Amino acid sequence: MTFRDQLPEVVERTGYKHDFDMVGQWFPKVGVWWKDAWNCHQFHANSEFFADFGTFDVKITVPQNEIVGAGGDLVSSHPNSDGTKTLAYHSEDVHDFSWAASPSFTEKNDSWDGPNGPVAIHILMSPGHMATYPRYLSNLKGTLQLFNDWYGPYAYDRITLIDPPHGGLDAGGMEYPTLITAGTAWDMPKGLLAPEGVTEHEFGHQYWYGMVATNEFEEAWLDEGINSYTEVKVMDALYGKNTSTMAWSFAQMGEHGQQRAGYLGSDDSDAIAQFAWKYRNSNSYGAITYGKTATMLATLEQVIGEDTLRQAIHTYFMRYRFTHPTGTDFIKTIEEVSGKDLKWYFDQAVYGTNVFDYEIDDAHSDPLKWWDTSMAHPKPADGIYRTYVTVRRKGDFIFPVDLEVKFDDGTTATEHWDGKDRWFRYQYDRKAQIVSAEIDPQTQLYLDRNFFNNSYVERGDARATHKFRNLWVFVSEWLSQLLAWLT
Amino acid sequence: MDRANYGNSISGAGLVWKWQRLLWWIFALNLVFAFFATQGMVDRLGPALDHSNASQYFVHGFDVSQMAALASQPDSPLEFQGPAVIHFSIVFMILMLFFTGGILATYVRDERPAPGIFFESCGYYFWRFVRLLIYMLIVFLPIGGLVALASMMYSRIDDRSISPYSAVHFFLAAAIVILFLMIVIRVWFDMAQVIAVAEDEKRMHKALRLAFSLFFRNFFSLLWIYLRAAVVACLIVGLCLYFWMKKLPPEATLVAFLLSQFMLVVWIAARLWQRASESAWYRRHAPVVAQEPAWTPPPVIAPIAMPDPEPYTPPTT
Repeated sequence: MTFRDQLPEVVERTGYKHDFDMVGQWFPKVGVWWKDAWNCHQFHANSEFFADFGTFDVKITVPQNEIVGAGGDLVSSHPNSDGTKTLAYHSEDVHDFSWAASPSFTEKNDSWDGPNGPVAIHILMSPGHMATYPRYLSNLKGTLQLFNDWYGPYAYDRITLIDPPHGGLDAGGMEYPTLITAGTAWDMPKGLLAPEGVTEHEFGHQYWYGMVATNEFEEAWLDEGINSYTEVKVMDALYGKNTSTMAWSFAQMGEHGQQRAGYLGSDDSDAIAQFAWKYRNSNSYGAITYGKTATMLATLEQVIGEDTLRQAIHTYFMRYRFTHPTGTDFIKTIEEVSGKDLKWYFDQAVYGTNVFDYEIDDAHSDPLKWWDTSMAHPKPADGIYRTYVTVRRKGDFIFPVDLEVKFDDGTTATEHWDGKDRWFRYQYDRKAQIVSAEIDPQTQLYLDRNFFNNSYVERGDARATHKFRNLWVFVSEWLSQLLAWLT
Repeated sequence: MDRANYGNSISGAGLVWKWQRLLWWIFALNLVFAFFATQGMVDRLGPALDHSNASQYFVHGFDVSQMAALASQPDSPLEFQGPAVIHFSIVFMILMLFFTGGILATYVRDERPAPGIFFESCGYYFWRFVRLLIYMLIVFLPIGGLVALASMMYSRIDDRSISPYSAVHFFLAAAIVILFLMIVIRVWFDMAQVIAVAEDEKRMHKALRLAFSLFFRNFFSLLWIYLRAAVVACLIVGLCLYFWMKKLPPEATLVAFLLSQFMLVVWIAARLWQRASESAWYRRHAPVVAQEPAWTPPPVIAPIAMPDPEPYTPPTT
């Protein structure tokens, strides 16, 4: 089959910019014979890949000054008489092949020792970005190590990272087998871990898409979603739970929070298990596929335990690498490893659009003998208060929740509510008044859309409100000064 | 710079210090307006945060993801009061335009600004300064064109260069040039305002002409008077921002508020310092430059002489 392809100016992770070429999605792909039928989808705005494994032998002829990175082992390089050179690459057990070239690249090579031998790390840096190179390398090595420790061995002997040039960021943040593109800027602050995040994410796709080759058109959550979850785990382990995305002294953000905020940015219009092209819009696709899936799996840790979920994902990887599993395979593996029937959870979280929101509806203490006015102040003579705590399920997602009630004598009451009713009231008669009541005191139910109504603290603390006010007052004052400068 | 120039700045600083009630009134006005502008947000934020443990995400640090989560709630407790802030800022600007006459009259006369006289001066010069503002906006039009041109060139350079630095260097150079031009125009119009007050000049085009001639004959000394105050203010504000962002514990809400307001005070004081120094400079140089005699105070409306009323005589029956 002969074909001709013309690269566009860089768009949607492929194309050229100046002397940089990112050659991805550049050849007609063979459809996948799957479930006794050809699975061949047209290109959709919200979806990326589904292809079968194969062996690629690719010859690339480029000007001799070009520095090339490709998703294969370099077999040979021959200079041609016309000022070009021909590079031959070979790649096995992959379902795509991409390459990038630029005479302006700075080539850096390193390696990581894995269980199957050394993995060659090939990083091509664009002008003005060299300060980010140590950050890419450190993240790549850390990610390789943790994926190997947690999920399974990296099957290839190489990984190439392309750093797109200034103006070519549309080629960044993309995954191809053994070749990923990242992204940075000349002024990237150290406290903003964007280069690390994108490197981790795209490398993670070597597992969730690269080796476990799910159908991204039909079940995008199996690669982008699981990958976002493992991104949370790896980034948090490497950079700290609350600082893995943003680590400034004045502002912080962790991957957990980032993925959850991404999910909250959209409503629950679409289920996770949804064809990519059937989402309400691209915002919903991104929020649900990436953010909600990561948040859903993080919440699942509360049900089966973090280690069990890690073991389940490891089993899933080992069992389905170099195949095309489905969502059912993933869920069955988790149920099998955890030994639990999790249909109730996945029906709501993956196949449904249920809204998860529990709240403390009311919490207060009154003297038990409230009618005896002589006993009311400052404290009843018998010292007994009746405390009510009402918890409420605001959404339609049913999930068992823990409740922790603290009293002013230092005691704590812990309850476990199955969360099925719309509300439930707990009652305590104690010689103490309520200090606080909190649902999910360990803050592990990330799917809960509103953390701010999960607790009630009797003694208010307005410092957060004051902090916000200070900031906005400050902004407002400076805007006034800016305008007053004209006078 | 010559000693006399330092003298002008010191005299200006002395005037700001001497009549510091102006500074505190402007600061208070700015603060009160900002409080009003943000009240709607605080009314929604308090009930959501004050009795919630989740508020600690913002007390012991500042978790940006939780801020995003808060902003995405259906009742939007964090919705920024954009229109209110802009409206109050515009009102503040108009008030500052009004007060400029009183402020400059105080500095030029170096007399205690009794409320009546102060507000009389504000009203007396207000429409002249409105006209000056219109002139300034006209003068700023080419600057706006320059900004648009620079922006276009920036995009083109940014697009054509594989190195990020070409566009960055151009941006810095363009920003410096544009900022410099804006400062020059500001100093020119500042001087026109001083002339309008000191000489009781009613014709603003004449005040602008005089100010132009005066400014460009004493370009560096007048520019330095302006820049000195600006540099001092920028340094102090920069240091405060650094301390706020890097050193201040996140729990120190009150200290953060006081620090932020200190920055505002410094900024307002610097602006007043520029105006006072320019007034002091003009007082020293005016006899040499000005064609007309020294300024005449704004006319005080004398009570209309009325004949004594006839003594009341009750009607006779």
